[in-house]
Amino acid sequence: MSILVDSATRVIFQGITGRQGSFHAERALATGTRVVAGVRMGKGGTSHLGIPVFDRIDDAVSETGATASVIFVPPANAADAIEEAINAGIGLVVCVTERIPILDMVRVRSQLKSSNTVLVGPNTPGIAVPGQCTLGIMPQGIFLAGRVGIVSRSSTLTYEAVEQTTRNGLGQSTCVGIGADPVFGLSFVDCIERFNADPQTDGIILIGEVGGSSEETAAAYLADIEDSKPVVAYIAGQSVPVGRRIGHAGTIMHYGTGTAESKMNALACAGATIVRSPVQIGEQMASLIDNGL
Amino acid sequence: MYLFEYQAKDLMRQWGIPVLPGSVAITGVQAREIAQELGCGPWAVKAQIYAGGRAQGSFSDAPRSGGIRFSDSLDDVQYAAASMLGATLVTPQTGAAGQCVSAVYIEPQVKTQGELFVALLVDGESGEIVCLATTRGGESIEEQVRYAPESLIKTLLGSGSGIAEKVGVRIGSALGLEQASCTIFADILQRMHQLFVTHDLSLIEINPLGIQENGRLIALDGRMAVDNNALFRQPKMASLGSRAETDAMEESASRYGFNYIRLDGNVGTFSSGAGLAMATLDAVVDLGGKPANFLDVPPVLEASRVKQAFLLALTDSRVRCLLLNIFGAGIMRCDTIADGLLLAHLEKPITVDVVARLAGTNAQLAISRLERSGLPIHFSPDLASAAKMAVELAATPDRPKSRGAITGQIGRWFNTLGHRGR
Repeated sequence: MSILVDSATRVIFQGITGRQGSFHAERALATGTRVVAGVRMGKGGTSHLGIPVFDRIDDAVSETGATASVIFVPPANAADAIEEAINAGIGLVVCVTERIPILDMVRVRSQLKSSNTVLVGPNTPGIAVPGQCTLGIMPQGIFLAGRVGIVSRSSTLTYEAVEQTTRNGLGQSTCVGIGADPVFGLSFVDCIERFNADPQTDGIILIGEVGGSSEETAAAYLADIEDSKPVVAYIAGQSVPVGRRIGHAGTIMHYGTGTAESKMNALACAGATIVRSPVQIGEQMASLIDNGL
Repeated sequence: MYLFEYQAKDLMRQWGIPVLPGSVAITGVQAREIAQELGCGPWAVKAQIYAGGRAQGSFSDAPRSGGIRFSDSLDDVQYAAASMLGATLVTPQTGAAGQCVSAVYIEPQVKTQGELFVALLVDGESGEIVCLATTRGGESIEEQVRYAPESLIKTLLGSGSGIAEKVGVRIGSALGLEQASCTIFADILQRMHQLFVTHDLSLIEINPLGIQENGRLIALDGRMAVDNNALFRQPKMASLGSRAETDAMEESASRYGFNYIRLDGNVGTFSSGAGLAMATLDAVVDLGGKPANFLDVPPVLEASRVKQAFLLALTDSRVRCLLLNIFGAGIMRCDTIADGLLLAHLEKPITVDVVARLAGTNAQLAISRLERSGLPIHFSPDLASAAKMAVELAATPDRPKSRGAITGQIGRWFNTLGHRGR
């Protein structure tokens, strides 16, 4: 088992004919992902990489029974693409696009509230279930099907955690990049909840970074639930100096959150095991699982 | 992208938010003329930088002189302006390097009965625009809110294109404003919100919003930031912009789209992806090493741009060892990084130790290209061993370095590229 997607997930690529969309659709197909349709206005009725292309996502859904979509659409139109996917009733939308205007995401978030769609991202490397399904841009050749669930805000640190858990033989059940933008969909909490319910997952790696309050929210959730699988947490940016800032609003918005220390403290108090260096992520997870914690 | 106070006030004026008359000057004489036009003093002379905390700040060459000065005479206005211009102002928000003052803003000094703080920004958690307001405005606001968090009123404003008047009235009365002031506050809030959504701002902050004797409100300062991701559809805002960088190397980095921050150590770092770049620093620090910089090179297709990033990292004479940590994925491929390193070497021979950890897309290709180049690069299979080696090499006393020339077939290829002026 896995979370969010599996080998049966039928996937649409929005923006399949673009350079990025095309490149990653081809790789997804090569790793066994069931890519069933592409969407590109003006290219409806054609096919790309042997996949039928539709003008509109509704038609792609009704023709192919797709349940998930990946978005490779330029930033100016990406929010519209997400909304089209929501309106077409897609259950899972992964938005790889980065640099989407924040107020566009504010609009998308309000649409998500009245829908059943789960949005992953934006600015995410996507989701990977080793050997079954790749939605996004995660590199090939580093995964090993296994026991650890990985959830991360940073793309590159997702791969770092994957490599370490492949190297020590634990392997991954599902890897999720929740994205590095301030306004986003699926959260750490949503992923922890799903990993705890997933029989294949034996431990959870949570990778956060300075800024925002998602890690503190995850800590509050972990402290709240009765029981959780072991969580190893690493927060990137402990050694980065506090940047220049303008005004006071950002600071007083969430007092006592946002720094690496506040996040590590909150997670440690909630029972997570904190590693201070990114190189310790894999071995720490292994020792927790070996000790049956 | 940040705006200066004078730019923010121009915008507020256009949008009907009450501000004092005032104007910007770039010389002492000009400041005097503006003050004269504004009428009899006293006047406020305000250094224009992309940061707050100006009154608490000080100039590096004249400690105890803040970035906001009140003057009673035209001579004093001119003197204050001239002494600020060209000087570097350090405030709690600028970082130790401070920011150079290239303009001052002159406006009348006014008396207020109270100072409010009001700001709009996007709250990531709720995904909505949020209003922050408190009666404890002024420069000590952060301490005020820390000790009396209940004094801060947070109101989610939803995701619509406008807000109702009653929202502002409710916040105003929660702040304890008189009824007349509440109505004015509500009007200001609606205008701030309009300005925020129309111009894709990520922050608008008025601190202080002064309460005058007659109950009127007036914006005495203004901070605005524009969402960089929306500049493509905000040509007017983009034209106002420049960036806040003051460090020459940081400025050159931003021109090429790199995120570079100068730090105090001697281990140079080079990564792609903000998360991995931060993690690289954390790994070095955890081993007792001291990073010389943070460098995040965004995924690019051209080796010539990667070359610029290497030249930037290697220009720093404090760097004893360069730690290269790359996880190729998406359009960031390891071979592009390797090519960039070799191009940089052609332009300026590398004389420091380089430790490379290359993983992900095309890692093997990159390693074999670098190995065949003959450059003395230490390869590490993972971040743990790479960071350890880099920290050790940086701590080793000076020794003669071989100036590795690029040799072999790859070398010839690169030399051809070099001669083409790439």
